[in-house]
Amino acid sequence: MSAPAAQGKRINVAAARRRQRAVEVWKEFASNRAGLTGLIILVFVIALAALIPLFAPPSVLDVTQVTSPQNDPPSLENPLGTDPAGRSVLALLIWGARISLVVGFAATLVSMLIGTVVGMAAGHFTGATQAVLMRIIDFFLVVPGLVLAIVLSSVIGPGVATIVVAIGVTSWAGTARLVRSQTLTVESRPYIERAWALGAGDGHVITKHVLPAVMPLVLANTTLTVGSAIIAESTLSFLGLGDPSSISWGAMLKSALDTGAATGGYWWYVMPPGLAIVVVVLCFTLVGRALESVINPTLRGR
Amino acid sequence: MLRLEFRDVRITYTTQTASGRGEIAAVDGVSLVVEPGSTVGLAGESGCGKSTLAVSVLRLLPANAKVEGKILLGDENVSELSWGRLRSVRWTEASIVFQGAMHSLNPVRKVRDQIAEALIIHAKGVDAQYKQESARTARVNELLEQVGLPKAKGLSYPHELSGGQKQRIMIAMALACDPDLIIADEPTTALDVVVQAQVLDLLTALVRDRGLSLIMISHDLSVLAATCERIVVMQEGRIVEQGPSLKIMRNPQHPHTQALASAFPVIGDLSSRLKLPTYTAPNAPHAEPGAASVPHESRPALAARDLSVTFSARGSGAVRAVDSVNLTCNTGEIVALVGQSGSGKTTLARTLLGLQKPTSGEVLFEGTPLSHKRKALKVYRRAVQFVLQDPTAALNPKHSVYEAVAEGPRLHKLDGDERDIVAAALAKAELNPPEKFFTAIPQELSGGQRQRVVIAGALALEPEFLVADEPVASLDASVRAGVLALLLKLKCELGLGALVITHDLGLAWNIADRVVVMYQGRIVEEGPVEEVLLNPQHEYTRRLLSVVPTRESPVATAGAPLREQALENDAQDGVR
Repeated sequence: MSAPAAQGKRINVAAARRRQRAVEVWKEFASNRAGLTGLIILVFVIALAALIPLFAPPSVLDVTQVTSPQNDPPSLENPLGTDPAGRSVLALLIWGARISLVVGFAATLVSMLIGTVVGMAAGHFTGATQAVLMRIIDFFLVVPGLVLAIVLSSVIGPGVATIVVAIGVTSWAGTARLVRSQTLTVESRPYIERAWALGAGDGHVITKHVLPAVMPLVLANTTLTVGSAIIAESTLSFLGLGDPSSISWGAMLKSALDTGAATGGYWWYVMPPGLAIVVVVLCFTLVGRALESVINPTLRGR
Repeated sequence: MLRLEFRDVRITYTTQTASGRGEIAAVDGVSLVVEPGSTVGLAGESGCGKSTLAVSVLRLLPANAKVEGKILLGDENVSELSWGRLRSVRWTEASIVFQGAMHSLNPVRKVRDQIAEALIIHAKGVDAQYKQESARTARVNELLEQVGLPKAKGLSYPHELSGGQKQRIMIAMALACDPDLIIADEPTTALDVVVQAQVLDLLTALVRDRGLSLIMISHDLSVLAATCERIVVMQEGRIVEQGPSLKIMRNPQHPHTQALASAFPVIGDLSSRLKLPTYTAPNAPHAEPGAASVPHESRPALAARDLSVTFSARGSGAVRAVDSVNLTCNTGEIVALVGQSGSGKTTLARTLLGLQKPTSGEVLFEGTPLSHKRKALKVYRRAVQFVLQDPTAALNPKHSVYEAVAEGPRLHKLDGDERDIVAAALAKAELNPPEKFFTAIPQELSGGQRQRVVIAGALALEPEFLVADEPVASLDASVRAGVLALLLKLKCELGLGALVITHDLGLAWNIADRVVVMYQGRIVEEGPVEEVLLNPQHEYTRRLLSVVPTRESPVATAGAPLREQALENDAQDGVR
């Protein structure tokens, strides 16, 4: 028997099992009505944001090319009315979803990467390494995230990348603690002892045993974090730390405040971005909770 | 007094099975009568429905269980009791001693408060006096005395007590409301032989003095024979045999009973020496003629020289888990390391494997001291392999059998085709045909098969020596023999040496060449099996042997003076 053939077959076996597991996870997830609803709405929102250039080219957002009157209430022509510059609020809302979602996902990715790596290291290693890592985690846990983010963006300068970094750097500590505790649980299992007795090193134990065990937890946590990252993005944009030329939901709220729309009774400019934030964050939370109950069967039915 | 009767009881669980949601019958048409004041032992392997049957008496089954048939407690049907009536029946008429004393006690409350809990709940009617603190205190003190614990122990938290003391607390809890019936669900399974004998003595005495009915559940027939008049053997939810204890032990009729009875050998019985139902060593006293012994060279493989391991403990300073141990294990020889729990035998094994650094002394492998440098350790670990106690926990639930066995060869980058190495290792561990097991994940295998996978994982590295920590302690009786036969066969056919850690002297009698007895971190006696087990010199070895329940002399009558002394020791045992 040739080695490559054996190798190929082995991978197939693993892949088949993974596929089967994925089907099982999907079935369990789909049986959760709330989670499924959240997922459908999210897919719809993401598809809308991705396909918006086909329906409403960027030109509709150009203040010099608008034809509608300013602060026009909702009508057939502009279903959600117009903003103080005469642009369609619906178009702004969907274009704003792009930035909000991208920032949400990117910031979460940064936060999860740092959190997982630091958390696993803090759980796996003992002694000085662990002590130092834990103090760093503690530091980021107690630092007020918003204040740090404001300082960071004023140092790096406003912009989308700044917001991503600011949110990512300030929100990983909770994940790290979670991952660390899971790492400690996994490492106390006898199969880790067996791996050591077989002659394993740190790298083997972390990548082959600990990482697969913490991944489901990290994934469920990711969807929950995306929601809070979107809120954080809106907050920072609302405070004027975002890119002034790009549109996001937070930036829309800021401009509503700046132009007096919020106090002038032009509710159609304030409500949609606010509701959009609530709905999208709620959907991410629903999906995250559903995923959590798939991973941790003891949560089911609670 | 209370009469308990099961009338054609059938209990099914609705659960996720391989073919979607389905029903599993845990108990399938059982009829059984427990007369007032009688003692009944329920025997059977895990999954035979004995625990389900027992907890159904108090309707403590999970929500997905469905009970058919009648469970009559006195003249009431348990499944028709109102909630209020059921609550008052629980504990005042029938109570349960749960399996794991360490998990059934609340870790954050003093044990005497936990005993008093049942009194407070049932403080009405004739027991209304227990609403008063002073009456409760007096009752708890009385209960503690009954189970042979000093009053002061009641102020301890569960973690401060030893396993046997915790089990005594559980029994005191069960006695609190003066029930007529006590159900003991594997009360001694997690305990070592010495403590087991004490707990069994206590239960026997309580039954005798107070005229209780007792239902005792165990997979170990000799434990049941020691306490019960009658034994009922269950298999797959049905009763396959029942009768008086002595008759069942001496003359089992059903093949399943015979298997259960033969799983625990009688020390001194030459027909079970180096012989198991599926394999007989060539040099066994009852070996088939013609089976020539294959001589294997015997040279020192693993040795400990003046080895000590000290743990720092809170408050009481340092604990010497292993105390100046000298030990030599040869290739082609099985050495059994026996001792009670807490005697330091697992620490010794971990130190020999390089998983624990010795405080002083050294471990020698083939004459060279073991270094704790990463590279040297890795080379060493290829030669000396580890078989863990609980195979279910020792295998990563996410890895297939193939991955679990291939882990070692991958780590050591062994030459040759990985698939062939894995197949050969599985075949050596008697998992045939190996290909069938490649894709299985641990939860799809039985306990015995899982332990074989762990052994195959060790064999894949072609080690020279195995260290096995209680390799069969968590396995059922019928697979126990199979795994032991495998170890014996590996020794006889491949010349693989092994150090087997156990508290089961029968295991040593079954397969070992030499016995090493460890007590409080020190080796107190060592020598060939026949010499040590049949003619023990050290007092502690004699004590260990005296408490092994045997078929001929049930524990209730054997070696009583020695055990009473042990009981006193346990009661005086300081806070652990």
